[in-house]
Amino acid sequence: MELKVNQDNCLGCGVCVVACPVNAAISPEVAGGNGSKTEEVIMMVENGFIKLFDKDKCKKCGTCQMFCPVDAIWLE
Amino acid sequence: MVNKMPKHIASGLKYLAAVKLKEQGHNQQKIAEELDIDRSTVSHYLNGRNLSWNSIDVAKTITDLYPKDFLTMVQAIIQDPEKSRKIVIICKKYEYDAFVDDSCIGCGLCVDLCFMKSITLVSLKAQINSIHCCGCQTCENECPTNSIKILEIEDD
Amino acid sequence: MIKNMKESKGNDFDIKRAAEEVRNLSFNNHVCIGCGICESTCPVEAIDLKDMGAISRNKFNTEFSGHDKLNQNIIEDNEDLKLTIDEHKCVLCGMCSGLCPVDALKLTIDDTPIREMDIYPHYNDYARIDDDECIYCQKCQTACPRDAIIIERNLPKRSDLVTGEIDVTEDKCIYCGICAEMCPAEAIEVDRETGKESIVIDKDKCVYCLVCKKSCPTNAIDALCRICSYGEYDINPENAIVLGSSVLDQELCVKCGWCEGVCPTNAAKTKKAFEGTLEIDQDKCQTCGACIDICPCNVLSFVVPTGPGQKLDKILKKEEYCIRCGACAKACPNDAITVKITNIDHTPTNSKTWINALNALKN
Repeated sequence: MELKVNQDNCLGCGVCVVACPVNAAISPEVAGGNGSKTEEVIMMVENGFIKLFDKDKCKKCGTCQMFCPVDAIWLE
Repeated sequence: MVNKMPKHIASGLKYLAAVKLKEQGHNQQKIAEELDIDRSTVSHYLNGRNLSWNSIDVAKTITDLYPKDFLTMVQAIIQDPEKSRKIVIICKKYEYDAFVDDSCIGCGLCVDLCFMKSITLVSLKAQINSIHCCGCQTCENECPTNSIKILEIEDD
Repeated sequence: MIKNMKESKGNDFDIKRAAEEVRNLSFNNHVCIGCGICESTCPVEAIDLKDMGAISRNKFNTEFSGHDKLNQNIIEDNEDLKLTIDEHKCVLCGMCSGLCPVDALKLTIDDTPIREMDIYPHYNDYARIDDDECIYCQKCQTACPRDAIIIERNLPKRSDLVTGEIDVTEDKCIYCGICAEMCPAEAIEVDRETGKESIVIDKDKCVYCLVCKKSCPTNAIDALCRICSYGEYDINPENAIVLGSSVLDQELCVKCGWCEGVCPTNAAKTKKAFEGTLEIDQDKCQTCGACIDICPCNVLSFVVPTGPGQKLDKILKKEEYCIRCGACAKACPNDAITVKITNIDHTPTNSKTWINALNALKN
């Protein structure tokens, strides 16, 4: 199982970035909606689209998928 | 595996077995029953009549093989598993001691693999009957937890 | 040569080895709770548990509808394969089957499950419903997190509980319909259409409460309850009993104890195999809820604040129903959960390896 994104669907809302519990543990400021100060996180919104930095860190909990309003991020 | 071997080598093996049983002090009647051949044949064997000395030479070579190859050859020559087991037990060159470590998980793979049917599971641990063990080491090689050791007993 | 055969039936599968004895290991996907005990105990590393966090999440519609979604949006037949076994590695030793806290992995030897064989250790756990004590209230059926209980109940007829007399004098009746609206048992039907007016009272439904009589503006209804009026209890008490039956699916049951916890009588009795602890590090928790989704026993829940500015735990636990399976700890992406098993109640065995494997569960 692997984390996938579809930038065509992405609204760039950043809900997945904030909801991801692993992101929040790596960079606590993302949980406050302030954006990450580091590129160590799994994913971030760049230029209005979601971008995966390091999908190997994903623990496959599926929280991002649950929150994404447009099915732009999912586990497969 | 070898599938068909000449029949006369089987008689060579039976000859060797009959001689060995005789050495152990069994009478002809008992030997005939043990090897499932008729009494007159046993008598011929023991008196050295009607025999192909060539096949006995081949049979001797077979018994001298590494135990696993010996077992494979006997199976191929005799065909019948029950009779093969008897010949192997009688003609094997050495006795073996088996040790099963506590790491045995009781999976029963060795029980299924042992051609000699010398392994049983007792309270989830393999128990090897060394009288029947032919030293082929199939169990030792296939054991998933490397719990079996088969050792040759040296003659003093 | 002896070879294992694997046979798949949907997400369930069988691994079979036929030689001196026939060994058969079956896996039931719908029973598996994803605790991962099999994966960690397999001596030949043949078992691969899938990402259970994602699989349990797939049980729910992805449209987020608040924290109530757990109860609302469950997709009934989610059928993601939870684990696979490499049949070439598997030696059919049965350790996974013996240690599986539910009955998802089942090893049989010559058709006898090893759970019924004395030489194999098995957990001393149980769940049962005593039919003599059960009042068929269905509370356990509602509470059971695994839908393992079916309670059927046959209610007595009303006429077996209460009797009386009721009559309408149609000459006095003005078909106003007040009685029909007031009747708590919906026993009265009034047709108010001009020219076709009628009133019908269903005596099987009537409970003789006399509400209709008291509410009738024209005193058209004459009714009395025989028991109140005459003190006559002319009904057979045997007909007034609630009958029923209880079925507990032992395969699905995880012995969590919810049924025992909610049972108003002492009919439901359970015993767990593991004793231990469940710790949640509330600082590490990022409230993603993966643990809540996966818990087979509905032990975990989000905290609903009752007022502003409260400092509360993020995840609430009902520890009395935890079976210490460790599925939540495995699913947590932040390693915020620690499940420890301190004691295992199992039948004795002489095999040191099996004892070691059982002890290894106590981390």
